Amino acid sequence: MEQKKNNLTNQDQKDDLKELALDFTISSAVSRVNIKFLAVYIPIFWLSGLLVGIAFYEFTKNLPPIQENWEAWVITLVLIPFALFSLLFIFIFACTFLSKLFLILINIIHKPKEGVFIAQIGDADFEFWSLRTELKKLVIWLIRNCPLPWIDTLAFRWFGVNMDFSSHLQDSWCDMEFVNFGRNVLIGQGAVVMSSMIVGKYLIIKKVILNDYTVIGGLACVSPGTITGKDSLLGALSSTILNQTLESGWIYFGIPAIKLKQNKLTFITEMTKRSVDDEEAIYFDDGVNIEEDKKKKLNL
Amino acid sequence: MSVPTSMRVGPFTATVLVKKKYLIFYFFLMWVSMIPILLEFWFYWQWLWDPIRPVHFYIWLPLLVFGMYVTMVFTSLFFAKILLIIVNSIHEPREGVFLRDASDKDYRYWSLRNTIKRWPVWLAHKFPFPFLDNVCFKLFGVKTKFTNSLFEGWVDVEFIDFGDNVVVGQSSTVQSSVIIGNLLIIRKTVIGENVRIGAHAIVMPGTHIGKNSVLAANSVTTVEQELEAGWIYLGVPAKKFKKNRFFEDGLEDVLGQVGDVEETRKKYEQLYIKRYDKHHTSYKERKELKKEIREEERKRSEET
Repeated sequence: MEQKKNNLTNQDQKDDLKELALDFTISSAVSRVNIKFLAVYIPIFWLSGLLVGIAFYEFTKNLPPIQENWEAWVITLVLIPFALFSLLFIFIFACTFLSKLFLILINIIHKPKEGVFIAQIGDADFEFWSLRTELKKLVIWLIRNCPLPWIDTLAFRWFGVNMDFSSHLQDSWCDMEFVNFGRNVLIGQGAVVMSSMIVGKYLIIKKVILNDYTVIGGLACVSPGTITGKDSLLGALSSTILNQTLESGWIYFGIPAIKLKQNKLTFITEMTKRSVDDEEAIYFDDGVNIEEDKKKKLNL
Repeated sequence: MSVPTSMRVGPFTATVLVKKKYLIFYFFLMWVSMIPILLEFWFYWQWLWDPIRPVHFYIWLPLLVFGMYVTMVFTSLFFAKILLIIVNSIHEPREGVFLRDASDKDYRYWSLRNTIKRWPVWLAHKFPFPFLDNVCFKLFGVKTKFTNSLFEGWVDVEFIDFGDNVVVGQSSTVQSSVIIGNLLIIRKTVIGENVRIGAHAIVMPGTHIGKNSVLAANSVTTVEQELEAGWIYLGVPAKKFKKNRFFEDGLEDVLGQVGDVEETRKKYEQLYIKRYDKHHTSYKERKELKKEIREEERKRSEET
């Protein structure tokens, strides 16, 4: 291989690089996991199911026979929907807790890192990456299937996405490692935020950073390595390419995303938002008429 | 991670139910798959329930529930397969273009087949591990391997062949049948080894994707399109973008570099077709057109 490289001229090398540039987007949906990984699910299911069993036992244990005291039976039967709902959440939280424990163990054995790896069974990085995704998937699957909103933010925080409760990704796919969120990030329905991608024989893992007040439209794709500036906006159905940076205060659109126009609506958010660098709140209290101000700034 | 509700297109075929009586099969499958799990639970109860010392009962209960779910899937699969064999012996499924009307026999049977398959596939898809899905696909006549991940998107359950190591991306669609206007088109879709289908991509019926090729995110193929082996395809409809050289050895250091975004944009613009009206009708032309339409309407009303 090295001999070959030496023989090539500079022009050839440039052409090579052009052909090997990753200017297209694929997907990170590799749940192609060996069946042996199913072994991780069984203890998690079992132990958290045990907790549920104990809770249910506690709920029903003091019931007298129905002939002696029917009022206690009525009360338990009335409370059963509530009990079932809480059992579901006991199960989910137990699963979360246990898989977090497993995750810590796995990360001690092999530390997750960014880079380019070979996506074949036998490569340690690849195998541990798929094991990690499989572990996290169980919990997020349960949470996404239950009707409480906002709770998946908890799971994402717990499993290593750096975000707080002002951001919002209820209805989108997001890889659960190497993703950083600023404040008030909004991700549209069906959007895909990937920090890993399989291209041919290689697995690429790169950090995605979404800065404050970024908005990502519905069904958009964000490739690994994307960095967005403050107040930038990615339109619906558009996608970014590897390592692309979106400048702050601009609207991007298209495949791959290019500048469409300046994001004028940012002026409005200026009034209420906090400055992130100093961690201080900026308040505009006296004499600001928001409606008038909007009209002026948007030239309506 | 994990397909959210808005992306969960599921492995269901967008069946238009022709006749409501087909739902009988669906309810039959639901009912029949519940019976063995009830039996299981009953035996377990007889064996281990002790009101004074219920420790053993509760310790093994979670594992039983796990097993109950799996048995439910397998029994529904078993009976669905028997029903399918009977249905297929009455009328063999075949490719072609059919009328989308209740009078068309192929359309009716297509709908019936999908109604039968729906319950087991739904059950398997609700299980977070892709293993059951692959079993479902295999039993219903889709050629797959356990190495494939067809879990995050929508894959039709008949007339599809997969090679090894295929990855179907998030919320992408692989179809073998499509309804266009008044027609139902069924064609065999063949997808080769090591093919990667990107997020939100759509593979229409009859597409042949050669091995080691890539269909990039957000792109769509047409009916009966042939994608050559070893290329990266992109666009609506998909066109050749460049050669897939990412299966070569020793590229770890070279990868991860990207050219100029504007430059790639130019490359992309040749691939994406822009559609717009070439003829710009002027105000006068539009007025004349309106006049003509009105006169025609008048004539019609006079005739009737």
